Amino acid sequence: MSTPRYSIPGSAPSVPPRDPEGPGAAIAQAPDAMERARSVAAVLAESQVEQVLADLDRDLVGLAPVKQRIRDIAALLVIDKLRMNLGLQAETPSMHMSFTGNPGTGKTTVALRMAEILHRLGYVRKGHLVAVTRDDLVGQYIGHTAPKTKEVLKKAMGGVLFIDEAYYLYRPENERDYGQEAIEILLQVMENQRDDLVVILAGYKDRMETFFRSNPGLSSRIAHHLDFPDYSVDELQQIAERMLAQRHYRFGAGAREIFHQYLERRIQQPHFANARSVRNALDRARLRQASRLFAERDRELGRDDLTTLLPADLLASRVFAEGSAGEATP
Amino acid sequence: MITNPTGRITQGQFSFLPDLTDDEITAQIEYGLRKGYAWSVEYTDDPHPRNTYWDMFGMPMFDLRDAAGVMQELRECRKTFQGHYIRMVAFDSTRGIESITMSFIVNRPPTEPGFGLERQEAEGRTLRYTVKSYATDRPENERYS
Amino acid sequence: MSATDIHAEATKITDAKQRYKAGVLKYRQMGYWQPDYVPRDTDVLCLFRITPQEGVDPVEAAAAVAGESSTATWTVVWTDRLTACDSYRAKAYRVEPVPGTAGQYFAWVAYDLILFEEGSIANMTASLIGNVFSFKPLKAARLEDIRIPVAYVKTFKGPPTGLIVERERLDKFGRPLLGATTKPKLGLSGRNYGRVVYEGLKGGLDFMKDDENINSQPFMHWRDRFLYVMDAVNKASAATGEVKGSYLNVTAATMEDMYERAEFAKELGSVIVMIDLVIGYTAIQSMSNWARKNDMILHLHRAGHGTYTRQKNHGVSFRVIAKWMRLAGVDHIHAGTAVGKLEGDPLTVQGYYNVCRESYNPVDLPRGIFFEQDWADLKKVMPVASGGIHAGQMHQLIDLFGDDVVLQFGGGTIGHPAGIQAGAVANRVALEAMVKARNEGRDIRQEGPEILKRAAQFCTPLKQALDTWGEITFNYAPTDTSDFATTPSVA
Repeated sequence: MSTPRYSIPGSAPSVPPRDPEGPGAAIAQAPDAMERARSVAAVLAESQVEQVLADLDRDLVGLAPVKQRIRDIAALLVIDKLRMNLGLQAETPSMHMSFTGNPGTGKTTVALRMAEILHRLGYVRKGHLVAVTRDDLVGQYIGHTAPKTKEVLKKAMGGVLFIDEAYYLYRPENERDYGQEAIEILLQVMENQRDDLVVILAGYKDRMETFFRSNPGLSSRIAHHLDFPDYSVDELQQIAERMLAQRHYRFGAGAREIFHQYLERRIQQPHFANARSVRNALDRARLRQASRLFAERDRELGRDDLTTLLPADLLASRVFAEGSAGEATP
Repeated sequence: MITNPTGRITQGQFSFLPDLTDDEITAQIEYGLRKGYAWSVEYTDDPHPRNTYWDMFGMPMFDLRDAAGVMQELRECRKTFQGHYIRMVAFDSTRGIESITMSFIVNRPPTEPGFGLERQEAEGRTLRYTVKSYATDRPENERYS
Repeated sequence: MSATDIHAEATKITDAKQRYKAGVLKYRQMGYWQPDYVPRDTDVLCLFRITPQEGVDPVEAAAAVAGESSTATWTVVWTDRLTACDSYRAKAYRVEPVPGTAGQYFAWVAYDLILFEEGSIANMTASLIGNVFSFKPLKAARLEDIRIPVAYVKTFKGPPTGLIVERERLDKFGRPLLGATTKPKLGLSGRNYGRVVYEGLKGGLDFMKDDENINSQPFMHWRDRFLYVMDAVNKASAATGEVKGSYLNVTAATMEDMYERAEFAKELGSVIVMIDLVIGYTAIQSMSNWARKNDMILHLHRAGHGTYTRQKNHGVSFRVIAKWMRLAGVDHIHAGTAVGKLEGDPLTVQGYYNVCRESYNPVDLPRGIFFEQDWADLKKVMPVASGGIHAGQMHQLIDLFGDDVVLQFGGGTIGHPAGIQAGAVANRVALEAMVKARNEGRDIRQEGPEILKRAAQFCTPLKQALDTWGEITFNYAPTDTSDFATTPSVA
């Protein structure tokens, strides 16, 4: 039974007039401006997506190829939107992506912006980003994985699910690994609920390639592969200056050049993690600055003293130590 | 056969309206999510007015942003318990509320036999009343088939 | 007189020999006017609207109100000196002309907590509205608002059930509750009366209700009413699968009678009993204790309040009564409809609802709330909108009052051309359609009539109700509105 009868024996007429448009008509809404759009300009004006692209350009140092790919994808999304509006395309195109690159190359940051772009163009409803790793998806015992994965998927619906180091889901050396179960559930949702969420798989380029080769099902559902290059020394220097400015620090006389030298040495060493290593190096420099100032108990410290990193704060790094070979951490 | 004007059990927020479509259910869930509620799917084959604890189809869903996840649970519950009553329940954890804030039926058995009223005469002209579901004479899971 | 003139210096006589010389002093000289007093967090604060007699200085009038509602008598008494009398004096600390009303003044008075017995509305009101309202130098006085300090709030047990637990017991969430008062008020036999209850509940209402003056008259003895009504309630519950209730009015001549009736209601399995405001504050608190002990929802009809709440210049504002009743402990209180047949400016009525339902009331002058009030987690009272409302106003009612309210359509149910069940169906369909539309994001204030019309297309009883009452409104100028001047904001 789908409709109450409202029949009261002996009183009101027992067959009420039917609602001509059916019960569901109550929330059928007029097509919004986005659905009426017929030109690129109209979609851009309605979605305000250009603002996000401009912010991306301005806020992120380097990454030229990534930025170009995002512009291309945005263009495709706008055109697809127009095609859907004219009925040339019924289905939402697959939007799942892979972000490959070394650590600290901006994958998470770009994923956040991508979620915003997809949201503004109407490809995801809410535009939030849920970032997870294997531990969030895969359980410890039988029957644990499915509810865990489903719970994460439910939280991500309406937005973007970002799986960092996705290849850890697949452990060929252990054939009873629960990761396989998570991958299968993921595959189902990626295929059947394209309207509900977009999945971004991220990690090192080579390991992702191996992962995709062993999981062709996943690979075939990825529409866009974005490769994040390492930053050049100049770009890293620029990133460092922005990080310092945000926290009200700056390089003092000669320190900028020393930091440049530091970067040139550091990128040669193992475990280099691009922007993340820059942040760590600056954090250690701040520690040394603090110790230096702490030692001068009676000195009155002005704005300049408190904001300036001196060459000495950088030169104490092990990276500059004679014959240093290992990781530079403290 | 239930004889009230709707011909069915009228618990919940929307029993007097035509059954909500999935789009309409989604809209209600979105409303709850915007208010910060956690949704839960519950089912029963014993819809006695004082049967407080319907069975939970999974735990209440916290921290969801979109109705799609809730709808997915509802679809699975409907698949598993086709002939049962299913209701959507929203919880608000705000201090001073900390209770259910929405509740509506989204699935019913094909026929609803309803309830009988048993009267037991007591002293004076007092009566003791028992509301009894016709369906619960049969064992669980066989009540509405 | 301008505001600056009023803010006179403190004229308290500090020299003890002068102060306690036998004779008559001005109240302000006795220490009841303290313009520099900073109210303490534990003080009870009152805002009075006073109309001094011709020639009486407003500051002196305010000091007199403070005096007469606390320790003062008309003359100086030396026995004051045996006490820490400064504590016991209420302090008028601010006086301002009422915006736009010549001859009336707002007077703010602070009372130390020691003046009041814990958990007693009778004691609080004996001070605050005891003698002072008959005081000759005032033409009129009105208690506009009150701030009860948290320290005092915590001595009251508050509503026995509260609106959250009430919903849990009734298993009804996310929509206003629906009720109707059984009509005609007087003359139905118990058997006929139960018929109306059964029809209304089976048709879709959550509650039926005794009227305030249905007690135990010759045409219907109370036991008879209770027995027939409970048969109707249980039958309707079985017919719908819902928990149903009917407010059984236990108002009677003595507490013993009321307890007897309440016990019988409990024995029969009723979820709710009802009392009238006219039984008095002490009886209300006693019935609240009884209801708490017996898991019963306590419905209060505000019978009689109009005699002292309605006129703006004299009496007690209903928002103060509502605050007292939340402390005293009732679960339902009639708080106005704004759109129905009974008095009520929409904003002012919303102010009453906020007093009943919020955990904390900020100052809200347009709604007549002059003080912040922290309710210290005291349970919430479910307001009842009753009197001359019908299904065609559903969008206005839900827009004004939200979900936590009982909407009582008496005539609007029982007077339906196709019968009581049809009337109940019309109201329930209108209610559910409106709640659904609001949740879907529709602007119900604007689109309400359209939403109702659409719902009526699949529900004949609603169509008949709209055809019968759709156009009926009660548009009279309200007598009780909030007086406040919008001061330019500093920012």
